[in-house]
Amino acid sequence: MKAFIVLGLIDGVVYGLLATGLVLVYKGARVFNFAQAEFGTVAAFLAYWMFEKQHMPYWLSDVLAVLLVGLLGFILERLIVRKLFNAPRVTMLVATAGIALALIQLEIIIGGANAVPLPPAIQGIGVSILGVIVTPQQILTFVALVGLGLAMGYFFSRTDLGLAVLATSQEPVATELVGIGTRKMSSFIWTMAAVLGGIGGVLIGAGGAIFPSFMTTSYLLGAFTAAVVGGIDSLPGAFVGGVVIGLTRDLGGYFLPKTIPGGPNLLVFAVLVLILLVRPQGLLGAKA
Amino acid sequence: MTERRLRRPSARKAVSADPEAVTGEVDPADVVAELAGDAAVELSEEIEEFEGVDQVSADASESGPSAGGWIARRGLIAIMVLGVIAAPLFYRGDAGQTKLTWMAIGLIYIIFGLSINVLVGYAGQISLGHQAFVGVGAFTSAYIVSVSHASFWVAFVLAGVSGAISAALLGFIALRLKGLFLALITLAYGTVAQFTLFNVSSLTGGGAGARAPRPAGFTSNMQFAYLCMAVTAALLYIDWRMVRSKVGRAIFAIRENELSAASFGINITAYKLLAFTVSGVFAGLGGSLFAHQQQLVQASSFDFTFALTLVLMVVVGGLGSRVGVLIGSTFFALFPLIFNAISLYTALIGAVALLLTLTRFQGGIAQQIAPILRWFGGGSLRKQRRSHVMQPGGEGVRP
Repeated sequence: MKAFIVLGLIDGVVYGLLATGLVLVYKGARVFNFAQAEFGTVAAFLAYWMFEKQHMPYWLSDVLAVLLVGLLGFILERLIVRKLFNAPRVTMLVATAGIALALIQLEIIIGGANAVPLPPAIQGIGVSILGVIVTPQQILTFVALVGLGLAMGYFFSRTDLGLAVLATSQEPVATELVGIGTRKMSSFIWTMAAVLGGIGGVLIGAGGAIFPSFMTTSYLLGAFTAAVVGGIDSLPGAFVGGVVIGLTRDLGGYFLPKTIPGGPNLLVFAVLVLILLVRPQGLLGAKA
Repeated sequence: MTERRLRRPSARKAVSADPEAVTGEVDPADVVAELAGDAAVELSEEIEEFEGVDQVSADASESGPSAGGWIARRGLIAIMVLGVIAAPLFYRGDAGQTKLTWMAIGLIYIIFGLSINVLVGYAGQISLGHQAFVGVGAFTSAYIVSVSHASFWVAFVLAGVSGAISAALLGFIALRLKGLFLALITLAYGTVAQFTLFNVSSLTGGGAGARAPRPAGFTSNMQFAYLCMAVTAALLYIDWRMVRSKVGRAIFAIRENELSAASFGINITAYKLLAFTVSGVFAGLGGSLFAHQQQLVQASSFDFTFALTLVLMVVVGGLGSRVGVLIGSTFFALFPLIFNAISLYTALIGAVALLLTLTRFQGGIAQQIAPILRWFGGGSLRKQRRSHVMQPGGEGVRP
């Protein structure tokens, strides 16, 4: 039981990070970004390639991988998102799904369909927390993502750039009038979303096996649900939603009888339906 | 020069009032003015004539092309339809069996495309869990044939019914949600169906899958291809009649603006649920054919990638356009099969083609072939005519 709570919290911050990226793009473009989790897979593969094949230092591979994925987000915004600014949202949504599909195929073609091991950032045996063995990589992930969450909280409430991003998402015309380029902001939003996805990818992928689309298949649905549960327009809500979903899934795996196939997904669905019917704006979202 | 210039307007006025009146004085300036006036009259006559020509052509496009034009149009359509009907006969031999399988799959995908088009294209309700309806139909059909030992036709009908029920259930949720939130709930619905519902061993055989033998009388690939063709034709007809009826207009009105539709007395709840139900029936029937075409149904077939493919093919085809959806569905069904040799690259090419389509032609294939469709409909290849193809920015798909 305790073990599932600890695991749920660790999973929760991962969902929270991905959900933050989703909320960011939703604020900028009013669309659910289906490529969000796949940015993480790309980053994990880049890190693996640089560390294992090019023998670069581990930290450098990680940093370069995240930066390259940020560049990828920037390019995709220029090539695709910008052209679809006034298209129906369903078209834009299909486009992001198309981006995810293309990225997955590129990974398979370049990296192969087989899983490869990405070593953890910190070697060493696990430590016991509340009687649960937690690996150093899990602790690092937790600390790094919580730190990132706090840093983002500061960024979006105290810095000019962060406030400009929020302004763009709330009132594009008025934002243009006070001299903030909304197109530049759109570029920035997609770059930042890709960077967030990339950070998630290199942290989660480390210490385990990475394979094409691993982030999308394991985390995307949970991240979407987390974003909606927390409130799709609320950045702190995304983190709260992430923790709720992480705990729901792992505790669901503990309580639900094993005879129900796909139990955790069923619970996530139930939470999603409940939230959408009872409190559509999400836990921390503003009423529309 | 100055004098001439000053007199010219009056002269022109005289000419335009009565050209024969200017005959008295012979003055070079007057001659020039007269010529100028004549030129003006000629010009205006030319303009009138030009406009007249334009009016004639506009009248022609209103009343349709000549008899020969109609024969050419109808003849071409007839040749294409006959070609499709006759196509399986050309592949009777052993070598053609693969082609017959492809045809059946292509036709089944057209049914899937029509199903999702009713929901996304006509009603503006996004669905990312459409594989759930297809899967429910497929497993129902397989269960009834292989466990209950009932005839295929019973299973086929019940597959449609079960597809309709599963879609209507989602429809009740969709009554309260819009746009991207609906997309998310359908996505979760599809995932739950794939991992939970389709893995209940007693109903679906778990991971091993459920067997779905070919129906009696349609065991060969050619016979089955004709069965698929008949069903597809029937559903195309139903779709066409629905769009042209009060139901179709009501559903379009809901897509464009729910509030104004309601203010015109359209029952939003009933028509939305109807759109979901019709879509579910189509998906269930398509799922039944899919099951008996594959002869083995497995839960893993109905994953998120499949759901995405279904949406991609109608968006690339052109939301709301029957012909566009037909072409898009066939393309996405056959593309991976035909280019199996370079299978690694097919999905990539498909995804890139999708992104190119979306960024360059948001109306999809339907937008690109709009002039051809107009011509077949009796219009000119050049002139614009109103159509019910979804325009960018429909109300129903906004958040």
